[in-house]
Amino acid sequence: MLLVSWSAFVLAPQLQLGGAKQVPVLNSTEVYPHTRPGEANQGLQVYRANGCAACHTEQVQQDGVACDVVLASAGKNPDAVSNLLATLTLRGLSQEAAQAVSDKITAAGGKVETHIVAVGPDIARGWGLRHSVAEDFLYDNLVQFGSLRIGPDLAGVGSRLPDANWQLLHLYAPQSVVKGSLMPPFRYLFTTRKIGAAPSPDALNLPKEFAPADGYEVVPKPEAKELVAYLLNLHADVPLYDAPFTPVVVAKP
Amino acid sequence: MSEPAPSTPAGAELVSDRSQSPMWIFVLTLTLLYLGAVYFDRHSGWFDKDVYSPYANAAMLESYQPKSGAAMAAAQGRRVYEQVCGLCHGADGLGKPGQAPALAGSEWVIAAGHNRLAHIPLLGINGQISVAGKGWNLGMAAMGASLSDSDLAAVLTYIRTSWGNQAGEVTADDIKNIRAGLGGHLQPMSSDQLLAMPE
Repeated sequence: MLLVSWSAFVLAPQLQLGGAKQVPVLNSTEVYPHTRPGEANQGLQVYRANGCAACHTEQVQQDGVACDVVLASAGKNPDAVSNLLATLTLRGLSQEAAQAVSDKITAAGGKVETHIVAVGPDIARGWGLRHSVAEDFLYDNLVQFGSLRIGPDLAGVGSRLPDANWQLLHLYAPQSVVKGSLMPPFRYLFTTRKIGAAPSPDALNLPKEFAPADGYEVVPKPEAKELVAYLLNLHADVPLYDAPFTPVVVAKP
Repeated sequence: MSEPAPSTPAGAELVSDRSQSPMWIFVLTLTLLYLGAVYFDRHSGWFDKDVYSPYANAAMLESYQPKSGAAMAAAQGRRVYEQVCGLCHGADGLGKPGQAPALAGSEWVIAAGHNRLAHIPLLGINGQISVAGKGWNLGMAAMGASLSDSDLAAVLTYIRTSWGNQAGEVTADDIKNIRAGLGGHLQPMSSDQLLAMPE
């Protein structure tokens, strides 16, 4: 009996994922993931020590996959194509429906592309662009899956909220940046001290009701900086073979 | 509780009879096993490490791989641009004074053909060059020589279609042909040499 459970829960996963390594990012010469920089790696231990995983998950769920048909060029007969587009559904299609729509538009002279998009409540909330995969956690020790979502999922927080100052303010006084936040403040990751000869460049720029007394400043301890480095390093949203989607890039104006 | 009436005379040994297990137990077990096997086949992905829900199997996952098109090329192009070109030419394509001219609105970038443009990253430039009416005299190394055909094509397409530029796309085959046409030429180009070749 022991042998059976050992085989099912230790041996089988080891055979399945034990050889996991960096994988190529779709349609690119890049690989994923990279080891986290030292500070972010330290931050993982701060994340763990403070029990962040008690209220935050790092796993995005995906319910389904859909195709969006996107017009690449209207071709020589733009009026006919735009009249046709008005009659068609272009988003959230099945593969067959997307193919049928593409064929119709191509027949009218337009040029289309089919985009693959992930579907599900987590994706709709903006927590990620695809489901989490084993590679997302390849270099994490220990892995901080989390199982309870009192706070939002953090698998892609580095892409969603990439501002280090915002993250520090949020750790010191969550309600200063998110009204009605349930998150407890982590003030012990910061020092409130008398301003010396000049204010520290690291001092938080807090709104009035959260600011310390005049002549004092709030500076992050190394732990806070490490934790923020870790949070900013969480971006599990590149397209991979086992989690495909079409990245949509808007060129910076 | 009433004792069931003994079917054997008192004192006689109890003997198991030969009545069979009911047939429905076998039918039910086999049906459940069959349904379980069907469910396993549909949802397990046969323990393939790449197959996650909602993909049922490797073939379905394969069919949902995005085909490369303009969107994929733009993502690839932007990544290459920001790693290689953006340091001098700026993430916004506006260039940096004293470092590199703007790519947005540059006549070299938005030319009808991409032949001259492709030679610049492949070989580099040297000497005087005029960009959008402004004279520059800076060298550029052959930054694109080590890029793959598809990366270079993606990045050229990216600069030709971003920041208000509206020129045609460049394909990996175009770059392959241009690279093959270089022969043994390895020296940086001058503005005159570029102008002498077809657009």
